[in-house]
Amino acid sequence: MSRIVVLGAGISGHVAATHLRRKLSKEHTVTVVSPNSNYQWVPSNIWVGIGRMEPKDIIFPLEPLYKKKGIEFKQAKVVTFHPEGDTEIDKPFVKAEYVAGEAKGTTEKVTYDYLINATGPKLAFEMTEGLKPATNKAYSVCTYSHATEAWHALDQLIQQMKQGKKAKILIGTGHAKSTCQGAAFEYILNVEQELNRHGVRDMAELTWIANEPQLGDFGMDGMLLSYGSNIMKSSELVEMVFEDRGIKWIIGAGVNKIEDGIAHYETLDGEFHTESYDFAMLIPAFSGHGFKAYDKNDQDITEKLFKGFMIVDADYTPRPYEEWSVQDWPETYQNPSYANIFAPGIAFAPPHAISKPRVSKNGTPISPAPPRTGMPSGITAKLVADNIIDTIKKKKPSLHHKGSMGNMGAACIASSGYGITKGSGISITTFPIVPDFNKYPDTYGRKLGKTFGEIGLAGHWLKLALHHAFLYKAKMRPFWWLIPE
Amino acid sequence: MTRRISKRKRFVMMNPIIQFFKFIYLSLKILVVVAGGHGGTREVK
Repeated sequence: MSRIVVLGAGISGHVAATHLRRKLSKEHTVTVVSPNSNYQWVPSNIWVGIGRMEPKDIIFPLEPLYKKKGIEFKQAKVVTFHPEGDTEIDKPFVKAEYVAGEAKGTTEKVTYDYLINATGPKLAFEMTEGLKPATNKAYSVCTYSHATEAWHALDQLIQQMKQGKKAKILIGTGHAKSTCQGAAFEYILNVEQELNRHGVRDMAELTWIANEPQLGDFGMDGMLLSYGSNIMKSSELVEMVFEDRGIKWIIGAGVNKIEDGIAHYETLDGEFHTESYDFAMLIPAFSGHGFKAYDKNDQDITEKLFKGFMIVDADYTPRPYEEWSVQDWPETYQNPSYANIFAPGIAFAPPHAISKPRVSKNGTPISPAPPRTGMPSGITAKLVADNIIDTIKKKKPSLHHKGSMGNMGAACIASSGYGITKGSGISITTFPIVPDFNKYPDTYGRKLGKTFGEIGLAGHWLKLALHHAFLYKAKMRPFWWLIPE
Repeated sequence: MTRRISKRKRFVMMNPIIQFFKFIYLSLKILVVVAGGHGGTREVK
């Protein structure tokens, strides 16, 4: 009898928990510990942020589903890790604090045989002075509640524009080391289309601001891709789209301070500027949650488990960009100190960035952190679950399932406008996510046929189809497991 | 020099009939990339 504890119920945690439950007999316990009562399909937050979807369209409550499927659920946040137990309990555990219900505020030692840390990132708004959702006219779409706030503010601004107000809209990254440029990219294109739909596009100046050294870097060092019969750089593709939509851009910009309607930023050439706005959506920096870990004697062993995010089977040796290798990236997401702890999805500490690190003339690092989107989060969670299942069933350690981001493809269907007949999407796939310059030396480390871009209405249909398919899968409806991650 | 989206290209992008076939093509192509599998990078052959 084994107990597997999954921390977090986002894409990664939920995928791991559902696969474990499906493949393990009921004598084994699957427990999910998450402070959130709802599952949310994060990629559709963009549509909540433009008022084309309601939060209820992208979320559902976890507890009834878990109860029905035999997954134990604790609405609690993990506080500390104790991978050796303590003087009272001779078993590894995490200390969790309940955040809802009668037990709210109380803590529990949740013991485990296997632990999956799928806590994702902390949205580190505090790393940028003045950046806080729905404050200083700056918003976020990182959660459905943030996206709802963003839409209310944008809607008000649209109404003012209809009365003749000229407005400036700023969308992009809100910190010099932010990631997730893709979400901001989707949002700016959707906002542009909505302004058109409301007949106020000519009243707005729309500006993209990002820490990318080039447009289309996306924290992945950009890519060379097939586009129809052409081969082009992702920077050219994005520039083409921005030119077409009349969107200005500021790149190589590290936003360092937000005041009411003013963004302060430093550029790679070492200059300091400000950009005023009436509405901004800025993605914050992501960080680890600052968890602490203790050994059996209550000694601090945080450095064995965490390096910001959780330490896994990556090669963390510091090296210059020129010496980075695809082999540095983890394959099994297992912690090297404790073999029963894993960290898939966004919870693991990457060995380094993917984009070339850059610093401004003043020495400020301004470059994107590595992105880890829904697809690799789901894939890595499933392979971790499969390794645990094999280990339990075969009664011996098994790490047969592997999935390095250097040997894994990803699809990014970036919405660029909502509507069954007027919508649009930019479908980009990339293989591998982390470029492998040894395998594909002539095409910037990626396989050209599997790295392509397409723009059009079909992209919107595809994103909408994925929205419904993945919510169906997450709700564990009949044959849900046939839908790939 | 920035590439432009031509009128013909824009027509193709937004034509529902053409895009229906593109939708099927893209779904299959993405499935190939996704279902193409994944693995490690450190095996020594």
